[in-house]
Amino acid sequence: MKNVSDQKGKGRKAVDESSGSIGTTSNPSQEVKRKILVVGKDYAFSNGVVDYAANLSQRLGYDIIAMSVNPALSTSGKFFSPYNQHLRGKFTQRAQEAWVPVASELASQGIKSEHVVKFEGLAGAIKDLNHEVKRIDFVITDSGIKDQEITGEIPLPVFSISGYQGEKVMAQEHHETANRGKLITRTIGLGLASAALYAAVFTNSATVMKYFTKGGIFAALPIVTVFAFSFVHASFASNLWSLLGIEAAKKVQPRVAPKRPAPRKRPRPQLHLDA
Amino acid sequence: MQDVASSVNFIDLTLMSILFLFVVGFIGGLVSGFIGSGGAFVLTPGMMSLGVPGTVAVASNMCHKFPKAMVGAYKRWKYGQVDIKLGLVMAASAGIGVWVGIQIQEMILAKWGQSGSNLYVSASFVVILVVVGGYVFYDAMKTGKSGSEEKTCALALWLQSINLPPMMHFKTANVRISMWFTIPVGFATGMLAATIAVGGFIGVPGMIYVVGAGGLVSSATELVIAFVMGFFGTIKWAMHGQVDIRLTLIILAGSLFGVQLGAIGTTYVKEHMVKVVMGSIMLIVAVSRGLAVPRYLTELKLISMSDSTLSILGTASFLIMCGALGFGALIILGAMWKAKRAETAAKIAGTAVL
Repeated sequence: MKNVSDQKGKGRKAVDESSGSIGTTSNPSQEVKRKILVVGKDYAFSNGVVDYAANLSQRLGYDIIAMSVNPALSTSGKFFSPYNQHLRGKFTQRAQEAWVPVASELASQGIKSEHVVKFEGLAGAIKDLNHEVKRIDFVITDSGIKDQEITGEIPLPVFSISGYQGEKVMAQEHHETANRGKLITRTIGLGLASAALYAAVFTNSATVMKYFTKGGIFAALPIVTVFAFSFVHASFASNLWSLLGIEAAKKVQPRVAPKRPAPRKRPRPQLHLDA
Repeated sequence: MQDVASSVNFIDLTLMSILFLFVVGFIGGLVSGFIGSGGAFVLTPGMMSLGVPGTVAVASNMCHKFPKAMVGAYKRWKYGQVDIKLGLVMAASAGIGVWVGIQIQEMILAKWGQSGSNLYVSASFVVILVVVGGYVFYDAMKTGKSGSEEKTCALALWLQSINLPPMMHFKTANVRISMWFTIPVGFATGMLAATIAVGGFIGVPGMIYVVGAGGLVSSATELVIAFVMGFFGTIKWAMHGQVDIRLTLIILAGSLFGVQLGAIGTTYVKEHMVKVVMGSIMLIVAVSRGLAVPRYLTELKLISMSDSTLSILGTASFLIMCGALGFGALIILGAMWKAKRAETAAKIAGTAVL
C-alpha cells in the first residue's frame, strides 16, 4: 500500500488508493465507483465512524475515501514555515500509520479505500477534494468535528457521527435534558454569586459611595465593579433564560466564511495622446 | 473635582425607585438588545424625576450602558450578526462627533442659556426622529407588506459603487464601501449621541441606508459602538465622581436580563422587524419630545402658556416616552412569541409525520 500525502496542502492532489482486494484503479476503463468521504480532524479515525462508513459502503456498494484534515497547520508565517513543514510531515506520517490497519480491515471486507491528508480549513478541504476526486456522494464527519466548524459552502450533504457506537448513532440535536441538571446547578451557583455581589455593595453602600465618587483615579472602582457584576450577572441571566427554554432559534446562521471578493478593476489614470 | 462630588446629592433609595429602575432597566435592555440602542431616553429623565441630579443621572446611565452593550454585542456576535470592524470604525468617528456635538451644545448654552439649549435638543429630537424614524417605518412596512427579502437601498448601492480610496471591506456586513462614506455616518451618530443621548437613532439607519448593511447586522454592530462610546464616556464621568454605582447596579440587574432576551429575539423574527420596532419607537418619542417644546418656547418668551397646561404637557411627554419603550418591548415579545409558537407547531407536525 502506498500512501502519498499532500505536504504542501493547498490544492495539490494527494490521492492514492490502498489496494483492496479488488485491485488498483489504474485501469481507466474500469468504472469509477461512487464514494463516501469520511473526514476526521485527528490523525486517527474513531471506530464509530469507520464502522459506520464500512457498513454503509457495503450496503450501497460505495468506495470509501478517508481524509485527515489538520486546519491548525494550514497557515504559518514565513518564519515558522520550516517548523510547520516538520509538523506537517509528522502529522502525515502518523495519519498514514494509523490508516494502515483500517485499510487492511476494510480490504478484508471487500471495500476499496483511499486515504488523503490535507492541511486547510475543513470546508475548503472537502471542497477541494470534491473537485479532485469525482463522484463523492456525501460526507461523514468524525465525532470530533462540530457542525459549526464547517463553515462555507459545501456542495455535498454532510452527516456527523457522535459517540462511538457506530451505526446506531447518527448525530442528533443535542437534547438539553441530559445537561439540565448541570444547567440548574450552574444557574443556582451563579445566582448566589450574583446575589452575594449585590449584597456586598448594598450592605456597605455608605462606604462604597464614599470611595466610588471620589473621582480621579478612583474612577477605576465603578468601572471594575460593573465589569465584575456584568460577567457574573450576565452569565446568570443567560443560564436562567436557557433554563426557562428561551434560547436562540435553530435557524441561526453560523458565521459564514465570506466569499473572497472578486478581483476588481481599479481605475487608474491613463495617458491619452490627442494627436 | 472632589468638591464637585461632595456637593452632589445622592438620593436615598426607596423600594419604589428600586423597582422602577429595575423594570425600566429590563425593558430598556430588551429594546436595546434588539435594535441596538434605546432605554437611555427613558432612564435619564426617569431618574431625574426620582430626584437624581441631571449629571448623576447621565453618568449612572452611561455606566450601565457599556456593560449592557458588551453583553448584548457578545451574544449577537455568537449569532454571527456583529461586524466588529464596522463597529470600531464607526465608534472612532463617533468619538469625533461627540466632541463636536458638545462644542455646539456649549456654544448654544452660552448664547441662549439653558432654555435655548433645551429647545435645541428637543427640536433636533423632533426633526431627526420624524424624518429618519418616518423613513425607517415606511421602509419596514413596505418590506413587510411585499413579504420580500430585504434589499439594499439605492443610495447605499450607489455609494458602494464609487471607488474613492481607501476602500474598506466589512466582512460580516458583506459591504465594500469607501471610508469617506463610512466616517460621516459615525460622526453623525456621535453628534446625535452628544445631543440627545441616543446615537443609535442615527447610527442604525445610517448603517442600513448609507453603508448598506442589513438590519440585523446594523443593530448588532450598534452595540459595539455603544460599548466603546459608553466606556469612554463613563471614564470621563467617573473621574468627576458622578457615577452613582447603586443606581447603575440596579439598572444593570434588570437590563442584563433584558439585553440577552432582546438578542435571542433577533434570531426568531424576520429582519425587517428591527426596522418596525425602531421606526415606531422613534416616531412615538418624536411626539413625546414635541410636547416638551412649548415649555421651552414659553421660557424663551416666544409664546405664552399657563403653568398648568405646561405641567400637563410635561407629564404627557414623559408618559408617552415610557409608552414608546413599552410599545417597542411589546412588539418584540409579541414577535418572539409568535415565532416560537410557529416553531413549536412545526416541531410537533414534524414528529407526527415521523
